[in-house]
Amino acid sequence: MNNTAPSPMSAIATSSSGRGTGKSTSFALELQSMMFSLGDARRPLHETAVLVEDIVHTQLINLLQQAAEVSQLRGARVISAEDLLFLMRKDKKKLKRLLKYMFFRDYKSKIVKGIEEDDLLEDKFSSSSNVNKRQKIAQDFLHSIDQTGELLAMFEDDEIDDIKQERMERAERQTRMMDAAQYAEFCESRQLSFSKKASKFRDWLDCSSMEIKPNVIAMEILAYLAYETVAQLVDLALLVRQDMAPKAGDPFSHAISATFIQYHASAESTAACGIEAQSNAIQPSHIREAIRRYGHKIGPVSPFTSAYRRNGMTFLAC
Amino acid sequence: MEEEPYLEIYLDRCMNQDELASTSSHLFSPIVPYDSYLHTSSNQETIASPLEPSKEPSTDLSSVDLSFLPDELNQENTEQTLTEGKPGVEGNHEIQGAPSRVQSLNEKDSGGICTDDFSLSNSGLNPLSDGNSTLPSPENSSSGFFPLTSMTPLMPVTPVSEGSGIVPQLQNIVSTVNLACKLDLKKIALQAKNAEYNPKRFAAVIMRIREPRTTALIFSSGKMVCTGAKSEELSRLAARKFARVVQKLGFPARFLDFKIQNMVGSCDMRFPIRLESLALTHQQFSSYEPELFPGLIYRMVKPRIVLLIFVSGKVVLTGAKERSEIYEAFENIYPILKGFKKA
Repeated sequence: MNNTAPSPMSAIATSSSGRGTGKSTSFALELQSMMFSLGDARRPLHETAVLVEDIVHTQLINLLQQAAEVSQLRGARVISAEDLLFLMRKDKKKLKRLLKYMFFRDYKSKIVKGIEEDDLLEDKFSSSSNVNKRQKIAQDFLHSIDQTGELLAMFEDDEIDDIKQERMERAERQTRMMDAAQYAEFCESRQLSFSKKASKFRDWLDCSSMEIKPNVIAMEILAYLAYETVAQLVDLALLVRQDMAPKAGDPFSHAISATFIQYHASAESTAACGIEAQSNAIQPSHIREAIRRYGHKIGPVSPFTSAYRRNGMTFLAC
Repeated sequence: MEEEPYLEIYLDRCMNQDELASTSSHLFSPIVPYDSYLHTSSNQETIASPLEPSKEPSTDLSSVDLSFLPDELNQENTEQTLTEGKPGVEGNHEIQGAPSRVQSLNEKDSGGICTDDFSLSNSGLNPLSDGNSTLPSPENSSSGFFPLTSMTPLMPVTPVSEGSGIVPQLQNIVSTVNLACKLDLKKIALQAKNAEYNPKRFAAVIMRIREPRTTALIFSSGKMVCTGAKSEELSRLAARKFARVVQKLGFPARFLDFKIQNMVGSCDMRFPIRLESLALTHQQFSSYEPELFPGLIYRMVKPRIVLLIFVSGKVVLTGAKERSEIYEAFENIYPILKGFKKA
């Protein structure tokens, strides 16, 4: 039943032009595509996409405000990459992934420049310091805030990113069974990102009410962080869904919490119609459960770590 | 003596070949004869034509003291040049090193001036043959190969491999050359026809010519970058044309250190490729971020080439300084990509 719905990709082109009739921009359709490329079913649910959009939006606004505070501390006029890097300093893995992304961006523009003759001239026009611009910014900044030397050690460190690896393996598994047409659609979905729709993204974020606004590189990083948030959500939701599936011989089945069973039961009731299709797509309940678990500080020290949380919001992306 | 003027002419010709050879010898690969060599071999033909008795002395050479070389090398040589080699480049070099001397004697004689010496007298022969045997040796590695290509087919031969059958096409060549004189960019921009100069934006004149369709960035120091040509010879030709334009405007432009900096090639595998699997299996070489760029960036170590591989099967190879690197890189990646064909 979901499979007969029109492809989200084709609908995006027609609907994005009709957008803006009073309602603010919505990324629901793009998110459906993105979730498909990240491991969800071929036609992700609209409700899930709306929920994800809501979560990402909230988190980004909060992130922006914290970045603005940091920026004010610095005495700068715009939010720049340094502020966002500063916010991410606690989580080395995510920071490393962000740095890799920035370096890749530099590298890709360097290569594409060499191929396109026009680009070569354009680049010659702009300052020659464009090469590895992002890398330089990142390195300089981390150098300045690094007290213990562990941040700079990240540059030399060549560990494999487990989460990235897992995502790659999942994508590989997904594409193995596809035929050429499906694969082409999958690739198109994978290419979709917030940075591609930069202007729409900027409108969606709506920084007009803020005093300090982000600059170009900061917007790039924000688009990346938005994508990372979606990716994390899908990762976690898939884990939750896997947990929910009743497994024979699971030793912890008696220890599942009550709320968990409630979610499970609601899923069961709606599963009466077309269990096949439903079980493939990620449900909003999965997402909510994932958020709950992520935000909930589990462990012996959790009651005493409330000071660690700044605004009561734990960011998925940093 | 009578041989002196001929010797001088011969030496002049060798020096001209040297100039070409020293700059283009690095382009040479026995696997693929280039169009460039057609020009030089045709040069030789034009020089040869006025000297009629060109074909006969090949038999007269039996009188020349070639006892240091085994006889069969003469015939072997021709077979070797026709059966274009596999990546046993070094082997070919070795084998062709010796007979090329013989061949150069043959060809140069048939091409030229030395034939007259042979017909002159035997006494004149020996010093000249000595001259011949010593002269070709410095050029042995480079211009010694020139005569060989006149016997090879005039079409570029595809490198023989296990059925790749696809030859990457060169799309763009970036080269630099030093005109070795300070230039007044404003004067060039005002007087030259297809020149733009915007000192506030960028400190160089951008000049374009239509044939070959290329663009040059000319700096006031005299250095020039030439882009857009589709082959090494065309790039060199275009650079020469730009240099001539500058020369005609009154600057003492020269043509020093012409060097090819980058070559870009592209080809089509004609089947879709599973990039996710490739990125997973060849992690150390691949970077695949479809949100940023639809192609997979594959950094090959040997030869040091960057390949952009797309889902459609199109492959772009860049970062090469020589044509052979592009071909080699493609031959390396072909079996890998075949393994990741999307059924």
